[in-house]
Amino acid sequence: MTVKIRFFARFRELFGADIMTDVVTGTMFTSLITTIAKKNPEGYAAIFDEKGAFREFVILMKNGKRIDIADAAKTPVADGDEIAVFPPVAGG
Amino acid sequence: MIVIQTDDVDIGALIIAAKKHGTGAVVVFDGVVRDDDITEMELEAYEDVATQELDKIAKNATEQFRLLHVDIIHRIGRLAVGENILMIIVAAGHREEAYAGSRFIIEAIKAGVPIWKKELTKDGGRWVPGEHGHGKPKTS
Repeated sequence: MTVKIRFFARFRELFGADIMTDVVTGTMFTSLITTIAKKNPEGYAAIFDEKGAFREFVILMKNGKRIDIADAAKTPVADGDEIAVFPPVAGG
Repeated sequence: MIVIQTDDVDIGALIIAAKKHGTGAVVVFDGVVRDDDITEMELEAYEDVATQELDKIAKNATEQFRLLHVDIIHRIGRLAVGENILMIIVAAGHREEAYAGSRFIIEAIKAGVPIWKKELTKDGGRWVPGEHGHGKPKTS
């Protein structure tokens, strides 16, 4: 199954805007982002801390709805999902 | 009109259009690119989600403050110093509701709508830090 991952702002500069990736059924949100992020050490360090946990300011969305980082490890992704990863917003 | 776009708008025309029957006050918020020793500002949005959230904010403000009209225009792309970034036009029967509704909308946008700003300088650029962190681990 295929999932779209979108990065914004500083994370977009590190990873690119959109990544389409094939994942196996049962893949969890955190493991998917970890796998993608590990391809870019600087990007990984921007999103994850030394223990491999999401940095507290990172915002996650699945299909436009926020996912608490505490729940991301047990939130599965499904075919066609749009995942978004971004730093704190600064509009206005 | 609730929209995220690159183009500027005619604020005067929006004020005229906002004056629905019963209007006693129109409040205009116009956020502009400040000259903080920058060359330009670049704005980026998660457009689909940001537009949905702006719609929700406008609806909540309309209900909470009995607004008669709301426009939110948030620009993206590269903007020069002095250009309009965000325009909020609110009409209500009385000034209290109009001011309160306008303030509610700008604070809600800053708190949670996925839009980012990068200040471009002679030496490169810097992302404007958000005022609100999200997704903190739950504490007992």
